[in-house]
Order: sequence, then C-alpha cells, then structure tokens
Amino acid sequence: MTDWKALAAARCPDIPSDAVERIVPSLEKLEAAFRPLAAQLTEDVEAAVVFTNVAGGER
Amino acid sequence: MKIEDLARRLRARVVSAVELAQESLRRIHAEQPHLNAFITITDELALTQARQADEDFAKGIDRGPLQGIPYALKDLFRTRGVRTTGGTKIYADHVPDYDCAVYEKLRAAGAVLMGKTGLHELAYGVTSNNPHYGAVRNPHDPSRIPGGSSGGSGAAVAAGMVSFAMGSDTGGSIRIPAAYCGCVGFKPTYGVVSRYGTMPLGGSLDHMGPMTQTARDSALVMRAIGGFDLRDGSSVVGALNWESGRDSLKGLRVGVPENFYGARVCPEVADAFSQALKRAEAAGAGLIPVRAPDPEAINVIGRIILMSEASALMERYEDRRADFGADVLALLDQGRLLAAADYINAQRLRTKMRGEWDAVWSQADVIFTPTAPILAPLIGQTEVEWQANNKETEGEDVRLATTRFVRAINVLGLPAVSIPLKKSGLPAGLQIIGRGFDDARVLAVAGLMEG
Repeated sequence: MTDWKALAAARCPDIPSDAVERIVPSLEKLEAAFRPLAAQLTEDVEAAVVFTNVAGGER
Repeated sequence: MKIEDLARRLRARVVSAVELAQESLRRIHAEQPHLNAFITITDELALTQARQADEDFAKGIDRGPLQGIPYALKDLFRTRGVRTTGGTKIYADHVPDYDCAVYEKLRAAGAVLMGKTGLHELAYGVTSNNPHYGAVRNPHDPSRIPGGSSGGSGAAVAAGMVSFAMGSDTGGSIRIPAAYCGCVGFKPTYGVVSRYGTMPLGGSLDHMGPMTQTARDSALVMRAIGGFDLRDGSSVVGALNWESGRDSLKGLRVGVPENFYGARVCPEVADAFSQALKRAEAAGAGLIPVRAPDPEAINVIGRIILMSEASALMERYEDRRADFGADVLALLDQGRLLAAADYINAQRLRTKMRGEWDAVWSQADVIFTPTAPILAPLIGQTEVEWQANNKETEGEDVRLATTRFVRAINVLGLPAVSIPLKKSGLPAGLQIIGRGFDDARVLAVAGLMEG
C-alpha cells in the first residue's frame, strides 16, 4: 500500500503535515477498495476517457 | 407554480410575464434572508427579459412553453455580464464575457432569468454549506441542508420562488437536493445537454439538468436545452425523441435491485419506497428483482475519477489554499496524490462496469431505488449512525451516505430522475434510472408515478 505521508512530502510539499494527517485515512480506505478492482482488469479493457478530434471546446 | 399552468395562463392573457417576474422577485426577496438560495438576484435583467417576452406575445411570437417563465441558474452556468462565482472565493469577481450553451437556449426560448443560485463550493460537495456565500437552507426545515451541490436551485424550486432551476450533477448533485427539498431533479444521459460554458468539476462525470415541480415540466425544459453542441466534446450527435409513447405503467418492467439499495436505509425512506413500489404494481407495472452490478465498486471508481479530474482542473490555484473551504481543500489535496495509473484504471473499470450494466436492461425497462438512504441531515452534521448486526452503532460520513445511491449513475452516464416519494414530513426521493438515451421514458414513468 502507498505511504501517503511520504508521497505527499515528496510530491506536494506545500500540503501542511496536519492536512496530510487528516486525509490519509480516507486515502487508505479508498486504496484498499480500489486495488482489488484494478487487479481484475484485463489488457483488452480500454479507458473511457473521451478524445474528440474536432475543433472547438471551452473558450 | 408549474410551467404547464403558467404557460396556459400567459397565453390566455390571465397574467403577464412581467407580473410573473414581479411575483417571483417578491418571493425570492422575502425568502432570501431565511433560505439564502441565491448568490445573485438579477432584478433588472429579469424585468427586461419579462418585458421582451410580453412584447413577443403581443406580436404573436411564441417561442414555446418556457416563454415568460421565471427560472434560476446554478451559479456555475456562465452568464455574460452577470457574475458567476462557482460558489468559490477564487471566482468571486468573475464576470463572464460569454453565455453558456444552456443560457443561450433558455434565452432563445424566452424564459426569464431571476438570478444565480447558491451551491456547494465548486459544486464539490453535497451540503451547500458554503463558507464564502453562507449556508443554503432547506425550505422544509431551515436547520437542515437542502442537499447539494445544487442546493440553491432545489430550495428555490421547492419554495416556489421560480418555476424551474438548472443544476449540475457530478455525483448526484441534482437528484440529492431534489430528494431533500421535495422537487423533481433530472440528470439526462451524458452528452445530451451541452456543458459548454459551465464551470467544470469532473468533466467526464458532469451533467446539466433541470429541477422542477413536476416530471412533465422537466421534459418541457429538456426539449429546450437538449441537443448537439460542437463546442462540447462530449455532446452527442442527433436529437432525442421526447415522445415516449407511454401513457400508463401497464406492462412496464420495473427493476428492483435485490442488492445494495436495501441496506442502511432509514425507516422513513424504506417505508415510502415500499409504498411507491406497491403503487407502481397496482398501476400495472411488473416488479422484477434484479442484481445491480456492484454499485459499491462503481462508487469507488467514481470517487477516483472525480478527485483526479477536479484536482487537475484546480491545480493552477494550489497556491491559494487559504481561499478554499476546508472540506473542498481536503478533497483537492487527495486528488493531487492519486497516481495517473489509478485514474486510467478507474476509467478502464468504468468501461467494464458499463458493459455489465448493459445486461440489466434486458430484464428491466427502468430501475427504481431510493434517491438517498436518509432524510436531509442537519446543517453541520458530519455522520449518520446505523445499527450494526452486533447491536452496536456504526457511523457513516454524511457525504458518503448521501451519495451512496446516486454516484454510480454518473459513472455510467445513464439518465435518472428523482421525484418526491412522500407527501408529509421531511421529503425523500424515488430515483428512476433508465438505459442510455432513454431519457423520455424515464421522465414519462416519473410523470405517471407522480399521479
């Protein structure tokens, strides 16, 4: 499992340590629920991210 | 008052659009100190648009059933020249120089904008307890939340300030306030209503839709705001047929999930839901037990997608930590720590789950669930207590309880509506879910369930 405190210190040092302390339990629960789901994926499953090759979009 | 009724009265010259706007403004100003449903009230603009609607009527120009009807926009729909805050201090002074697609269409339909409604900061939460613009309050009990994030829109419709209001729904944000405030809230199929010019939160999950007093009114608004828009990359080509052809529930296959949606539901909601199923059956619908493919897993997938997308969008403001409310900042911080691989895998799981849900539609035409397992929580309440099997209580975060039955539907992009489930006490909602692009049927069934 991820060491969220170490990750935050390395990647987002602007997040104060007390703020990290508060969010770690939520991230741990989320990761514990997500890892077994991701482990079921087979290589043929494509991501549902949309790319549209047209002009336009947000101004 | 209902759009349908007002549209008739306007055409019979029983009332004018200016009179409707004046009455709407009177109610808004009277309720604003108690409910705080609006961030901006557009008095002058409303009267100008109402006069235009009356002039058009006088010339015989009829732009459809929304002409002259008072409405409100959640304050993340950009409106040229009218401040659009997104409920955040970051955009407190943002005055757009263009209109979002929905406002373009509603102006073309002759509807009359009364103002911009309050919301949870950035639409990133379900309480509408906004640290910058104040808490929006529930018209049925002002000590309680209206739900969110479209809380101001729900309160404004439920309190009769406007005939309809627009909301956005990323993880239940139209359906939740509809359930807690006692009105109708419709989330269309993803891609049916243009997101152009709205402030995004989680682009692949954001849906725009109406909040109204009846399902028929929602259908009227959808006819005006739906349709392809080249400026929105997710917009779907082709118009939906809004004629469902259904005038009774006879023969309708109503899927009733055997799993997930019956656990940890408060007795008032469970009882009202059970009564609704009986009404549907008595009206000729068949109740079909179905197994909903893992909504709990889809909720997890949805949270990872939302946190990743929202944090990516707001990354440019990460040096303004003091300007965000504590709850939103905590979510943005979490999203910054998630890995790109987790986001991609969540989107891959989304594809997989969508495929599994496709099979459900061979068994059922629509699915009924409660919209939320609880009634509107008190402002400031953070946990719901549930009786566990061992007779001890266990707490659940109010935000997770509130979104438990609705978030998965955003991940799947399906149409869903919440309609009032009970007539007395605090409101609760019946959620009716349909297969993709079956929006007309969902609203038709909702209308028949309203009676």
